[in-house]
Amino acid sequence: MKISGSAQLPFPPERTYELMQDPAVLSRAIPGCEALERTGDNEYRMKMKMMLASFSGAFDGKVRLIDPNPPNSFRMVVEGSGKIGFMKGDGALTLTAKDGGTEVAYDGDAQVGGTIAAVGQRMIDTTARMMIKRFFEKLAAEA
Amino acid sequence: MSTTTITRPEKLVGKRIRRREDPRMLTGTATYVDDVKLPKMLYAAFVRSPHAAANIRSIDISKAAAHPGVTAVYIGQDLKDVGSVVCGVDLPGLRKPVHTVIATDRVYLVGHAVAVVVAKDRYVAADAADLVEVDYEVLQGVSDPERALAPGAAAVHPQWPDNVSFKFEQKGGDIDAAFAEADVICKQRMISQRMVANPMETRGCVASWHAADRALTIYTSTQIPHLARTILAGMLGLDENRLRLIAPEVGGGFGCKLNVYPEEAVVSWLAMKIGSPVKWIETRREHFLTTIQGRGHVDYWEIAAKRDGTILGVKVKILQDLGAYHQLLTPAIPTLSVLMMPGLYNTRNIHAEIIGVFTNCVPTDAVRGAGRPEATYGIERMVDILAAELKMDAAEIRFKNFVAADQFPFATATGLNYDSGDYATTFHKALDMIGYKKLREEQAAARQQGRLVGIGISTYGEICAMGPSPAVAAGGWESATVKVEPSGKVTVLTGISPHGQGEETTFAQIAGDELGVPIDDILVLHGDTSIVQYGIGTFGSRGTAVGGTALYLALQDIKEKVVRWGQLLLDSTNVTFDGGLCVDATTGKSVTIQAVAAAAYRAMKIPAHSEPGLVATRFWEPGNFTYPFGAHIIHSEVDPATGQIDIKRYVLVDDIGNILNPMLVDGQLHGGASWGLGQALWEHAIYDENAQLVTGEFMDYALARARTMPWLESSHTCTPSPVNPLGVKGVGEAGTIGSTPAMVNSIVDALSPLGITHIDMPLTPEKLWHLISAPQEAR
Repeated sequence: MKISGSAQLPFPPERTYELMQDPAVLSRAIPGCEALERTGDNEYRMKMKMMLASFSGAFDGKVRLIDPNPPNSFRMVVEGSGKIGFMKGDGALTLTAKDGGTEVAYDGDAQVGGTIAAVGQRMIDTTARMMIKRFFEKLAAEA
Repeated sequence: MSTTTITRPEKLVGKRIRRREDPRMLTGTATYVDDVKLPKMLYAAFVRSPHAAANIRSIDISKAAAHPGVTAVYIGQDLKDVGSVVCGVDLPGLRKPVHTVIATDRVYLVGHAVAVVVAKDRYVAADAADLVEVDYEVLQGVSDPERALAPGAAAVHPQWPDNVSFKFEQKGGDIDAAFAEADVICKQRMISQRMVANPMETRGCVASWHAADRALTIYTSTQIPHLARTILAGMLGLDENRLRLIAPEVGGGFGCKLNVYPEEAVVSWLAMKIGSPVKWIETRREHFLTTIQGRGHVDYWEIAAKRDGTILGVKVKILQDLGAYHQLLTPAIPTLSVLMMPGLYNTRNIHAEIIGVFTNCVPTDAVRGAGRPEATYGIERMVDILAAELKMDAAEIRFKNFVAADQFPFATATGLNYDSGDYATTFHKALDMIGYKKLREEQAAARQQGRLVGIGISTYGEICAMGPSPAVAAGGWESATVKVEPSGKVTVLTGISPHGQGEETTFAQIAGDELGVPIDDILVLHGDTSIVQYGIGTFGSRGTAVGGTALYLALQDIKEKVVRWGQLLLDSTNVTFDGGLCVDATTGKSVTIQAVAAAAYRAMKIPAHSEPGLVATRFWEPGNFTYPFGAHIIHSEVDPATGQIDIKRYVLVDDIGNILNPMLVDGQLHGGASWGLGQALWEHAIYDENAQLVTGEFMDYALARARTMPWLESSHTCTPSPVNPLGVKGVGEAGTIGSTPAMVNSIVDALSPLGITHIDMPLTPEKLWHLISAPQEAR
């Protein structure tokens, strides 16, 4: 599944970049995130709860931020698994100054498996979009 | 003894007798597997792989085992003494992967069991299953059979990197000469998509171990109780006579319960290991992932003909998506497609190739027609494609090529011997019912107005009453015992295992007519290996044609015995038995079968060369398959704005030989047609490129519903089968096989003015709308 789009944040790129590397901020902004702990350089362990169609479940996963190019771009690699299946995502985020804030463009691939694929397929796309939207809304509220 | 006026009871066979099974179902008192509740019973839940292909690095069961209410957790290594899952098919060069009951070091499909949890109830078991931690090294899977054959594809089984399980070839006549001589050759690639069996009752079993007797009782939802007993006894290392297998009420099978699955062996092993009864009931989501599916064909058809429409030869190359393993009959199913590839047509020259391909998907096997729907779909589409190419009428080309009524028994180019038939008469009847000529005129007029009106024909044949033992994986005979009890009540024990077909009713009709006893005096028992003599089971439209014949023959033995007792009791040698009475033709004196039964058990005197009691058992081996046939015609219209299909009329004329109970035949045909239309229009089990099933529940997998079914205008012709004394052919799969090509032919016909010559199933409104909306060159 391809995921791409963009969001506008009310901070300059430097501040946006900094916020998006801060585990405390990320844990507040990622929908369903219950814990995010740093395990190494740019590497985090994450627990999150996800609801999709008729089921919900906890994911245990890893978030890695790679190819850092502050304040312009970085890549985010997410892997998680839990009783409802697994998810893998890999996306490039590009930050551009725009209208006094920052436009964050994202472009990536996501893959799901297990129950989440078998019974949630038709909802995955919209759920992913909704979660991304919420993530950026929460991030914007960090002002 | 008395002199009586003989009034023969009314015959039961041929009547619309209500199903004697229904009261217990309608009142909710039937006992399905999940209704079986034993003292101290525990519940099993399986931990299943979310990956289509992965190495298992490690499994941590500690949290699950410590969960309150959990009795035990086991992984694959714990069950290494349990035999692997059985495939009953042998083909030359067939590669059979070892299919352990629980994966040990590698998983091969999504849903593959890696551990099993036993707990005090099913909710605790499910919760604890979520606590089992499996570390997978994820590998690339493959789901599409054509991609699996391409160079560089991921290997499903590393030892066979080409993903080929077997190749099979069959030739008849001189195919090269036929194609060389042809004026026209039409070719078409077509797909028969994967489908989920989806009986209302999913799989499930309860096992109970009696250690002191080394005896195991298994309740399992199966179509083949005795075969399952033999196979499970082998897997578990038990004496088969100490394994009692009970198929209680079975809520549908459609072929998917013509199998023995890992869970049945695991649950049995758990009961033996733990010493308490264990139950497992398959969830619907598990059913989608782990129960055999049907079809999975990519077929390349070619048909060669003369300018006048005479078919000279047919070729097909079948890529069979086998899935990751062979279940009981997996590799045999596409060979049935080859056998039926000539359809009803007088084609002397055939060539068929099968490539059995491994994929990281659940195995395919016998579902709803099993191999014959793919063949019928293929040949019936090809005949339509040929007719369109030759600008011939779709009915005319069929009449031109039918095997003629005076050619039976007819030896086909594929090695079969069609028993009896009169295809033209049946087809004429269907054409008359729908008013074919007028309908074509109306269609032409509608097309002038730009309307998309279609008329689709399927003249199908099928191979039923499986079958002569040498041609069937586990034997094809069937058995019956008739016990006339001392009171004159009649108990029938049949080796078949009805699960919706209604033989408790039809067999009572047969027995009632032969013995002249009221239908309420007859009880038909089945599905318990400790009660019933060995049998084969119910599949391949064989229940009545093979099992009913065994019953009929046992009844003849009973009648012979009754006559001997009648001679003794009436003190006459001139005794006949009919309508429940032994009558002395000289004196007119008579004695009832009930009085005979009482005398036979009391045994004060015994006829010469006879013995006490009134019991007979027969095992019957059929000399041939039977070959039902029919004509289905569907008149439809497609809404160009939405792609929605309106089925205006559906006429079906089926010839299934003699009919024992027209109401049950209607039910079988209606159910079959709903499955067949389901394949044509809605159903599709889709695996994505990573071999993840993405249609894993009814929100994503559409079945026919009452409101989506058209009115079925059903009629019959009757060409009795000479293969069995009942003259019956079989009806369980006719509706499924006949309906699908009629539906697709109807829609392709409707869209033919747009230049469309073929559409792969399912014909969803979305697909049709895109085709209608697309520019001409993109269709």
